[in-house]
Amino acid sequence: MLLVIFSAHRSVEWKRFAISGAAQGTTYSIIYYAEDSTVTKSLIDSELMSLDSSLSLYKPYSRINQFNNSIKGITLDKHLLQVVKKSIDTYKATNGLFDITVQPLVHAWGFGVTKSRYVPDAVAIKNILPCVSTKLLQLKGNRLSKSKPCVKIDLNGIAQGYSVDILAALLEKYGVKNYIVELGGEIRVKGRKQPSGEKMKIGIESPNEDAFENHLLQKIIELDKGAITTSGSYRKYYESKGQKITHLINPKTGYPQKNELISVTVYAKDAITADAYDNALMLMGLKQALAFVERRKDLAAYFVYKNANGSIADTASSAFLKLMNP
Amino acid sequence: MKRRNFIRQSGLLTAGFLLHQQMLQAYGSADAAKTISIGIIGCGDRGNGLGSVLNSMPEQFQLKAVCDVLAFRLDQAKKLDKKNNLRYEKDYRKILDDKTIDAVIIATPLHNHYEIAAAAINAGKHVYLEKTMTYDAEQSLALVKLTQQYPKQILQVGHQYRYTPLYFKVKEMIDKGYLGKVTQIDCRWDRNWNWRRPVPQGYTDKQVNWRMYKEYSGGLPAELLSHQVDFINWAFNTHPDEILGTGGIDYYKDGRETFDNVQAILRYNKEGMIGNFGATCGNEKDGYLFKLKGTKGTIQLLMNDGVFFPEKQTKKELETVDGVTGATKIEWNKEGGIPILKEKSKDGSWYALKEFYKSVTENSKPVSNVITGATTAFCVHLMNQSIYKHSIETWKPEYNLDK
Repeated sequence: MLLVIFSAHRSVEWKRFAISGAAQGTTYSIIYYAEDSTVTKSLIDSELMSLDSSLSLYKPYSRINQFNNSIKGITLDKHLLQVVKKSIDTYKATNGLFDITVQPLVHAWGFGVTKSRYVPDAVAIKNILPCVSTKLLQLKGNRLSKSKPCVKIDLNGIAQGYSVDILAALLEKYGVKNYIVELGGEIRVKGRKQPSGEKMKIGIESPNEDAFENHLLQKIIELDKGAITTSGSYRKYYESKGQKITHLINPKTGYPQKNELISVTVYAKDAITADAYDNALMLMGLKQALAFVERRKDLAAYFVYKNANGSIADTASSAFLKLMNP
Repeated sequence: MKRRNFIRQSGLLTAGFLLHQQMLQAYGSADAAKTISIGIIGCGDRGNGLGSVLNSMPEQFQLKAVCDVLAFRLDQAKKLDKKNNLRYEKDYRKILDDKTIDAVIIATPLHNHYEIAAAAINAGKHVYLEKTMTYDAEQSLALVKLTQQYPKQILQVGHQYRYTPLYFKVKEMIDKGYLGKVTQIDCRWDRNWNWRRPVPQGYTDKQVNWRMYKEYSGGLPAELLSHQVDFINWAFNTHPDEILGTGGIDYYKDGRETFDNVQAILRYNKEGMIGNFGATCGNEKDGYLFKLKGTKGTIQLLMNDGVFFPEKQTKKELETVDGVTGATKIEWNKEGGIPILKEKSKDGSWYALKEFYKSVTENSKPVSNVITGATTAFCVHLMNQSIYKHSIETWKPEYNLDK
């Protein structure tokens, strides 16, 4: 009898471990609750390195650059294969709004590996568009082929989400069950803070157009599973002749998309899904994006947008409302 | 702690970047209908430095003439003569008499500030007057009185930090209460050398190293600490009520008269603050140091760089979330601080001269004007009185000027 009581009280010695660093042109932060520091920073960093050598446009030797520089295509490694598969699925699901072959356009608009503020002319865009379409990609087994040599891919709209999932999988592999992984503002959560048992609190950054308003933190949601990512037009942009040129380029038109949306925050079961859809939702505009999310059982989204009168407003899909008010 | 910590009030921190952009845009959009033709009186390091900033702003300014009583200084100013069309004068009156010159920069030794500025105002010129505005309080009061008779002419004082996005942002942060109640301010401007310039053959030490002589210079308080004193006056919209200073010629016993080591305590009654302002020529570890210490956090400033360090309790309040999703996040540096601006500012003089252009073309009052310049000159005057006389000086009613 006594023994049973003892064993019931023999609680786990919870410790909180925090790892952070720089990767993929941004920063990452991992917090996990466990008895021991089974996952170390060097383990995380070497995983991130391997992701980079597969998915990063910034590494000349990366597998993605090998594909882009190839005439006909290459054999993919496991990371690139996963991400390309998901990209093709998302391309279909978004009716072509999410399209990884957007790379030549991203480059032309100055948001690629080499940054510029030079606005391309209509002829340049017209010449690029025939190279842009996921239909020009063929995936057979683990070989990715292209119909034209000028077809190049850019995974920046999805690779961070995927990387977050890979880091989460790494934690799981080492038996960690309570964690939050964040890379460049893309987040994946599982379990709860220990020993308190509280859910993880996630802040959704609000784009603050008025520099002196304090309410940067628009909303806080509490999660014990899933992933959340945000896409916004409010930071990555430059101005040219009084026009805001945002990094969100519509692959169908070849031009940066202008609509009322300022940011979209997407919740999904994994970060690759959330990340894949956030940019496409930005391009859809509020009405269409909201309808799109409502149709999808696996997505929830929160939108910040500009009203016709210029004021900032927010709204959310019904599933996201439930997350905010459980 | 890491940047996963989220700041509820951090609007201001990312806002800094926006502010900078907005300021640049605001300046950039200024209609370049008119360039101001300008002359520089006093071509030492500061005058020449401002000259090269002017040369970088051809849409706003056209440098027409330079003036210095020392021939070798005029010689050094030749590097400003990009188009080979500069006038060189030894007598500043010749520049003031030139009707084609709209404005002058005065960057002479301190004891000349009043005389030349007054003459320039009387001659119908707009004036950019280097700090400290005048040698003593009496001259400041006289200059205030004089400029009131010429409301269409601009007099801007060269406390250029008022115009930098960084210092502007810091003022915002103070106004919005992000620091909580500020009780202490620490300022230093130290160096480990004799603060002398080499004297070319044929010139006297007094001509070149005028900063070493009481009759020409207000010493370290006027030449260096006045910037920080001015910033506090501006940021808190205040002035000190009581000043206690000390100092000496403690290391460079080389015939100088002004002190190579000074410290002044400025008591601000209304704000309940103490400002510690010190400078030495005998140690350079701190160099330029500027810390504002409040109940919620500390701001630590360099000339073009600033960091906010929240106090423990503030930090705790900021750590209410475990993660933040967003396109960008707050970035904490290794020491647990948050950079105030994401990009480094340009040199303060650039912003100050942009403002000067705007004030002249729009006939608007510059932020650093004759009144604020006088207020800071009073502070420096009292600091030197206290330092030299080993007295406690108090603010005088006549120093309270209508703004």
